[in-house]
Amino acid sequence: MRVKLFGMIAEKAGSAELEMEASSLKGLCEGLRARIRDLDSMSFAIAVDRRIVKDDLTLTGTEEIAVLPPFAGG
Amino acid sequence: MSDTRTHKARDIFVEGPIDPAFVGTSIAKHATRTDIGAHEIFLGQVRADTVAGTDRLPGAGVAAIEYTAYRDMALERMTVIREDAFAKWPTMTCLHVHHSLGTVKAGELCFMVFASASHRKSAREAVAWVVDRIKAELPIFGKETLSDATHIWKSNP
Repeated sequence: MRVKLFGMIAEKAGSAELEMEASSLKGLCEGLRARIRDLDSMSFAIAVDRRIVKDDLTLTGTEEIAVLPPFAGG
Repeated sequence: MSDTRTHKARDIFVEGPIDPAFVGTSIAKHATRTDIGAHEIFLGQVRADTVAGTDRLPGAGVAAIEYTAYRDMALERMTVIREDAFAKWPTMTCLHVHHSLGTVKAGELCFMVFASASHRKSAREAVAWVVDRIKAELPIFGKETLSDATHIWKSNP
């Protein structure tokens, strides 16, 4: 699955998108930690199909997934 | 402007700063709506905050903010906020929201929330509430470029 990255997370990863394999949100987070250095030092949220998800979730691979750093609108 | 009640999804994003003249034009467009008794407008302007840090020159300040957004999610969230606002303030006749993407220099406008209503109370309350919700819920990101060419990432409290 393709994972969209934004702001400082995209900057750290050196890319606005990552190709990942995961069957759960928990697994995806572990994969992201391995791919993006210092991810845990940053505050971030995960959006699945454009909604922020806090609990673990089964992923089928068809979802639109995004890693969102703190919001800064306004 | 009968379509203002359909609350359809709109693109709130504009490339670069919001032109102050656009604010005036927006007000003028409501002249035919004689049921309106009050306009309330919030304008966000990029502030040249001084940022301290060991890795930068003393007195380095914010020169510009480069905005990016997760556009699809932001517009979906904005539609929900708009619907909620019209439900909460039924006397509100119009709600216009614009936010910059790309580079906005210190002193330039980056955000406008404009509500019109029959009376001032609804317009005032709605604008304050919508501004707060947008800042908290829309996935918009801001890279603050400092005057010494370093940068930091903006984060709303």
